Amino acid sequence: MNRKFLRGTVAALCCIAILGLTGCWDSVELNRRAVVTGVAIDRGPSEEEKYELSFQVVVADEISGKNARSTSPVAVYTGRGRSMFEALANASRQTARFLSLGHVRVLVISEKFGREGIKDIMDVLERDSETRLTSFMFISKGQTAKDSLTTMTVFSKIPANDLVEKLETTSRQFGYNFRMEVDDVVRGLQIPGGGPLINGVLVSGDEKKSDTNDNLKSIAPKATLKVTGIAAFKADKLVGWLEGSEAVGTALLKNKISQMPLLVKSGKGNYVSFSVYLSQVKVEAEADNPEDPLITIKITQQAGLKESPNNLDLTNPKVLNDLSKLLQQETEKQLTAALTAARRMNSDFLGFGEAVKRDNKKGWKMVENHWEQIFKKCRVKYEIDAVIRHTDMRSSSFQAN
Amino acid sequence: MNKGSVKIGLFEIFTLTLLFELGTALVVNLGMESGKDAWLSILIGDCIGLFVFVGYAFLYRRYPKLSLTGYTRKLLGKYIGAVVAVLYVILFMNLAGRDLRDGSTMLVMATMHRTPLFIISVLMILSCAYVLHKGVEVLARTSLIFGVIVLSIGIFCTILLVLSGSIDINHLLPMLENGIQPVLSSVVHQNFMFPFGEMISFTMLMPYLSNRKKGPWVIGATMFLSGLLLSFTMALNISVLGADIAKRSPLPLMPTISKISISDFIQRVDILVVMVLIIGVFFKMAVFFAAALVGLSELFNLPYRKMVYPVSLIILFTSMLDARSFTEHLQEGGKLLYTVYPVFMLLFPAILILLSFIRGHRSPPRSG
Repeated sequence: MNRKFLRGTVAALCCIAILGLTGCWDSVELNRRAVVTGVAIDRGPSEEEKYELSFQVVVADEISGKNARSTSPVAVYTGRGRSMFEALANASRQTARFLSLGHVRVLVISEKFGREGIKDIMDVLERDSETRLTSFMFISKGQTAKDSLTTMTVFSKIPANDLVEKLETTSRQFGYNFRMEVDDVVRGLQIPGGGPLINGVLVSGDEKKSDTNDNLKSIAPKATLKVTGIAAFKADKLVGWLEGSEAVGTALLKNKISQMPLLVKSGKGNYVSFSVYLSQVKVEAEADNPEDPLITIKITQQAGLKESPNNLDLTNPKVLNDLSKLLQQETEKQLTAALTAARRMNSDFLGFGEAVKRDNKKGWKMVENHWEQIFKKCRVKYEIDAVIRHTDMRSSSFQAN
Repeated sequence: MNKGSVKIGLFEIFTLTLLFELGTALVVNLGMESGKDAWLSILIGDCIGLFVFVGYAFLYRRYPKLSLTGYTRKLLGKYIGAVVAVLYVILFMNLAGRDLRDGSTMLVMATMHRTPLFIISVLMILSCAYVLHKGVEVLARTSLIFGVIVLSIGIFCTILLVLSGSIDINHLLPMLENGIQPVLSSVVHQNFMFPFGEMISFTMLMPYLSNRKKGPWVIGATMFLSGLLLSFTMALNISVLGADIAKRSPLPLMPTISKISISDFIQRVDILVVMVLIIGVFFKMAVFFAAALVGLSELFNLPYRKMVYPVSLIILFTSMLDARSFTEHLQEGGKLLYTVYPVFMLLFPAILILLSFIRGHRSPPRSG
């Protein structure tokens, strides 16, 4: 009897002990957390304040509605320091809650910092156990990175989420930006003779009025946050921006395009528009002689005709074949544009070096150190196959009659 | 322990072996010394490990009712045998302690930064002690439940990874970039011992098998299967993260799984990796713990339940006093893997096999 009692007591004590151990020492209740959705990294004025970090923090009451004071849905806190971590610590002094980095969606680095070199920034981003590798990286084009976190946005109350959605929309619909996450950049930094690619972000319009609710009160927002070209790096330094067909060509070569519009000129001032639904790209190298490799780019594309305001007879397969020839030429132009840009910037961000390495690992060791020179003059062959699958809901245009 | 009543079935030994082999090896950067060919060195290590296991199975066939410490004493004589058996018990406790340190530090690194290492270690060793207090059979049955959980987590995560499109096979190419030498060096330094050589602890548990004929076959097949799974997981890590990031991460499976992101709906599944880590460490530690207990109770003729608490204290303090930092711990472990462990996992069993051959010729073994 006595023994049973003892056992019961021990069991009860254990249960009570377990209650005290939930989450152990690290538990932070939700109402003590401030969820950070975006981080902007600017170059501070001096070495003492090298890193200027701005944190976009969600004001939960504003989002959920009940206790909303119709103030700003997010707040931005800035801290400076000699290292990223010190800047974070300094920023936390201003906040009432623990900055919780587990839900950071976007990381924006200013162009100024990009030109100076980003490799020191990346360490803490991949090391920290709370931040995730799936955060999207951006470079703020010509502005401070903080600007892109202090712009009110229309579709999402949280600007960082809005930026992510914009990126996904553009990458789905128009091709040329694509998802670039923390680990993509870390890997990119290690491309021999090349560098990472990072999406650009830009606040256009009246920047001064962008950070208040007033920005949204008119139908045409005073300032809009938008995804723009791609920043190309050489090692860890920004060397230039890819825009238009350069950017599309780059995205193609990285095999990141899911859908994109493509215009083909047929006749004078007359454009036929296509939507390219599928692009499968393979970059291969024939590098028996690593000093003079041949890079082969194989592309299979499927497109649908979207607009043809002219008198082409689209019931005739031959016409479509001719158009697909033009389509192939257009694609080749884009690819060449990307290649020319890469050569101009002297950076193999396209990863041709890696293709050579895959083909001839021994030869690669010999050319690794002077790959940049080879990249500038290596032969490139295009094998493009474009198919026009359909002409959407009409055959020929009414103008054909 | 009464060997008549304790029985481990085939299914249970399958899951126990699987969880033991996957254990910590699944989450750490196994074989990354050989860079992007880590998966290859794991496969080679698996094959060598299987070959070594054939030796253990041979000894088991000879003495199906005795554990390792049992036939050590029978073959090496009363005194030398006892010394070697004590060494084995110490080895098992050391291995359990090392795994405890692995597991608790990784938990602290990955999720619970401010929680004292000691508290996590105590909680983990207590749960082990509790299960072993209930008996080896209970451990085997527990593994059945957790085996299902770990396997379904694995399948779930693999499907999601494929769907989220983060896999890039190009990261695995070119194969054998620096020749076969780094792969072999990694095999010698790590992969044939960890985790495959560690199967020596199963020689202590095999006398409890219910099916003496099929048992070793099942264990061998499971070793092979878990080697394939480990190799596949490492290849997955490299193809998602690239060899460089995988090499620099102590727990590459975590960033790999954290790359799963399906239309902003399924995210942050990396906590599943923490679950797998806890389960894996638990079973690895429990098997070594059980092996040490069985050895002790046989050596000193003590009821094995009485030894649970002293042994768990020893394991706990081995793990705490093992090293000051995780880096030091890993470095020590790396050295042990190719200096000390091969003595116990290859040399001694080889001597035993030789001796049993000689004895076998002199007088055929009696059945019993």
